Amino acid sequence: MSVAGITINPMLHMLESELRGILGDDRVLSDPLERYVFGKDAGIDRGDPSLVVFPHNTGEVAAVVKSAKKHGTAVIPRGAGTGLAGGTVPTGPSVLLVVTRMNRIGEVSVEDRCVWVQPGVVNLDLTRHVTPFGFHFAPDPSSQSACTIGGNVANNSGGPHCLAEGTTVNHVLAMEMVTSDGEVITVGGAAPDPPGLDLRAALVGSEGTLGIVTDVLVKLTPNPPQVGTLLLAFERVTEAAAAVSEVIAAGVVPAALEMMDQAMVEAVERFARAGFPTEAGAVLIAEVTGHPTAVEAESRLIRRTAERNGAVIVRTAADEAEREDIWRGRKAAFGAIAQMKPDYYLHDTVVPRTRLAEAIAGVYEISRRHDIPMLNVFHAGDGNLHPLMTFDASEPGVRERVAAAGKDLIEMCVKLGGALSGEHGIGVEKRDFMPLVFTETDLDAQARIREAFDPDGRLNPNKILPEGSRCFDFGRPPPEGAWV
Amino acid sequence: MKAAPEAGRGPSHPPRAVPETAEEAARLLADASAAGTRVRLRGGGTGQGIGYPFQPDLTVSAAGLRRIAAWEPEDLTVAVEAGMPIRELEETLAERGQTAVLTERPGEGTVGGALASGRSGWRRFRYGPLRDRALEITLATGDGRLVTAGGRLVKNVTGYDLPRLAVGSLGSLGMIVRVCLKLWPLPPARATVRASSAEEALAKSYRPLAVLETERGTSVFLSGTPEEVEGQSAALGGDSSAGWDWPDPPAGPVRFSVRTPPSRLRAVAARLRSAGLSYVAQFGVGEATAAGEADPDFLNGLRSRAEADGGSLALWDAPAAVREEVDPWGTPPASLPIQRKLVSLFDPERVINPGILPGRL
Repeated sequence: MSVAGITINPMLHMLESELRGILGDDRVLSDPLERYVFGKDAGIDRGDPSLVVFPHNTGEVAAVVKSAKKHGTAVIPRGAGTGLAGGTVPTGPSVLLVVTRMNRIGEVSVEDRCVWVQPGVVNLDLTRHVTPFGFHFAPDPSSQSACTIGGNVANNSGGPHCLAEGTTVNHVLAMEMVTSDGEVITVGGAAPDPPGLDLRAALVGSEGTLGIVTDVLVKLTPNPPQVGTLLLAFERVTEAAAAVSEVIAAGVVPAALEMMDQAMVEAVERFARAGFPTEAGAVLIAEVTGHPTAVEAESRLIRRTAERNGAVIVRTAADEAEREDIWRGRKAAFGAIAQMKPDYYLHDTVVPRTRLAEAIAGVYEISRRHDIPMLNVFHAGDGNLHPLMTFDASEPGVRERVAAAGKDLIEMCVKLGGALSGEHGIGVEKRDFMPLVFTETDLDAQARIREAFDPDGRLNPNKILPEGSRCFDFGRPPPEGAWV
Repeated sequence: MKAAPEAGRGPSHPPRAVPETAEEAARLLADASAAGTRVRLRGGGTGQGIGYPFQPDLTVSAAGLRRIAAWEPEDLTVAVEAGMPIRELEETLAERGQTAVLTERPGEGTVGGALASGRSGWRRFRYGPLRDRALEITLATGDGRLVTAGGRLVKNVTGYDLPRLAVGSLGSLGMIVRVCLKLWPLPPARATVRASSAEEALAKSYRPLAVLETERGTSVFLSGTPEEVEGQSAALGGDSSAGWDWPDPPAGPVRFSVRTPPSRLRAVAARLRSAGLSYVAQFGVGEATAAGEADPDFLNGLRSRAEADGGSLALWDAPAAVREEVDPWGTPPASLPIQRKLVSLFDPERVINPGILPGRL
């Protein structure tokens, strides 16, 4: 067996032999070309995993973690690799643990509205599986036909419909996990309020840095009896943003409130032909779900609010086919980009909903300043922006301009009271921006959470927190006045 | 204000400190860590005595921290100090038609106390558990650091979710001094509908706020547009009244909650009923809170069954004789070693509410 590139490090060579013993040769990759495929996610950072492994079950995951610990090597869990923040990109010698072959769905408990699923199950497959029972899995990222539940848990993924239903953390009841020591424990359960600290809260969204989740008890959401979907077009983005604020202020929290600017609508229309008005400055998709009379009343309120704010087109989906067309257009947004430029960089930041119009104006200004075209699609209801930069990486200097524009975007959103990421995570992409929103003491506290789970920093190192976050030695109180 | 009941754990009432700023609270705790002073935290005093008993040297009250720091009605967020009484906060929010969805019968309870105890209100079936309200939190840790995590944003994945983790931590990660809460609009119409069975009510209603069974009967709590509430009431048989007629929280010498998968709650409720206890069982959620004269054998039996089903029984209050035979929490969780490490990193000298959590953390 060729182990080119590995043999230079005797520790890794021993680890590789051990992992081949545990998993068999066909589930351990070490060839440079094979490793290259797994060296990045859907974002822009790249790394080189030393080994790529494909466990089938929890016992194998535990064995891999123990073996890697023994040989002093990091372990990085990976789902489908649709993440955008470099959360699975290796930064040093590491075993990339791919969970996609752990893809069994357990027995659906209709009474308890939950089901155990392995981390490699694809998000949309889960919803399809539970549809006959009248349920769905509420988080619905745009990548839902590819992304895995394990990845959703790692990133606390959202999606258009998380406005009313919440993100992944609201839909995970329990997790079986392999700890950094290779022990298997379960946190949470089908019963509410497990005794002690609610570690589920720390685990969901921890990007694989606190443990490797090997089984997930997800909450299932009953399908609504009625759905109302509206397509609203405005001449200006500011009008659409004002309508969003007014709808929320009127006491309605729709299931989804999604906005696209003109550049994005044009791209989507060329690609998906969903019937979006390309002459509009902004298109808003609003969806309300629930009891039929409530859907009717809330749809009426949204229509009136939109008209009051200058909507030029107010269209209500007459049937399921029209509804699907509208959503096909929205979810095609990222596919549409491929037609424009060879490369893109999808950003993710969040501001308070009321600052949305200012944030969008800021995005356009940054786009002009760096001469990087940006198309915008956002979860307007919760102030989550997704500026999409398009570029041709072969142009000299363009990467630097993209990076500078990204930095400006983050700084602009933080100034408006926002944060670094609404749903994509921090990964390697944004970890060095963490000091923009947190003090040294705050970051140290975050590092302590990590230390409690993974004292040696062996699980997905160099993600989320910038280097040097842990400022104080364990057990030693900070110097006098350090907190003021 | 009534002194904290110390339920058979010594006659002394420790001195009380009432910090008026977050920085003052942090300094008090830094001093406590330096001196090895055991501190009991106090909000409104409604949850004193939860968990394993300990003899505090000092009570730190949140009563001096009760300001609204920032309320953004259009963003549906409010940042408040921890000693803010829930009743006062909800009255203020109601002026703009909003609610923080905390407990419906708060008594003297405070925002910080509710979050620290982690006990959700009855509307959790619709709005999710209490932890989902915590968007940003500032803790004064046991060793006197002021730590903020999360953000004043309804959607945010910037860093570990310390706000949710702090909910139910009973001070073990620090004293909650400030929190930003997610708000919800108060629905225009509300009703309480009497039902003959909780199971039938769950089947016939679409996402009610709560389906509560007490020893006196079953009620479904509805909200929404007037048409929706009227339509749902009719589907449930129509025996309804306007507004929410929340039950009184069960009261008695022994108070406890059973947490169980929702499908096992019927059996729990039946045992509570036949034992002659006063109870509120939250169908669809899997929690029943009960009070009355309950003997240790009954409680331990109920706990064994709950734990076998993957649930738990938490004892909130009981006479000393019962406490001697019934553990407040039951079997500690499998993640206890991680929890212990976590607590030691936030409160190295273990000065805040020491040893009260499961596993005597």
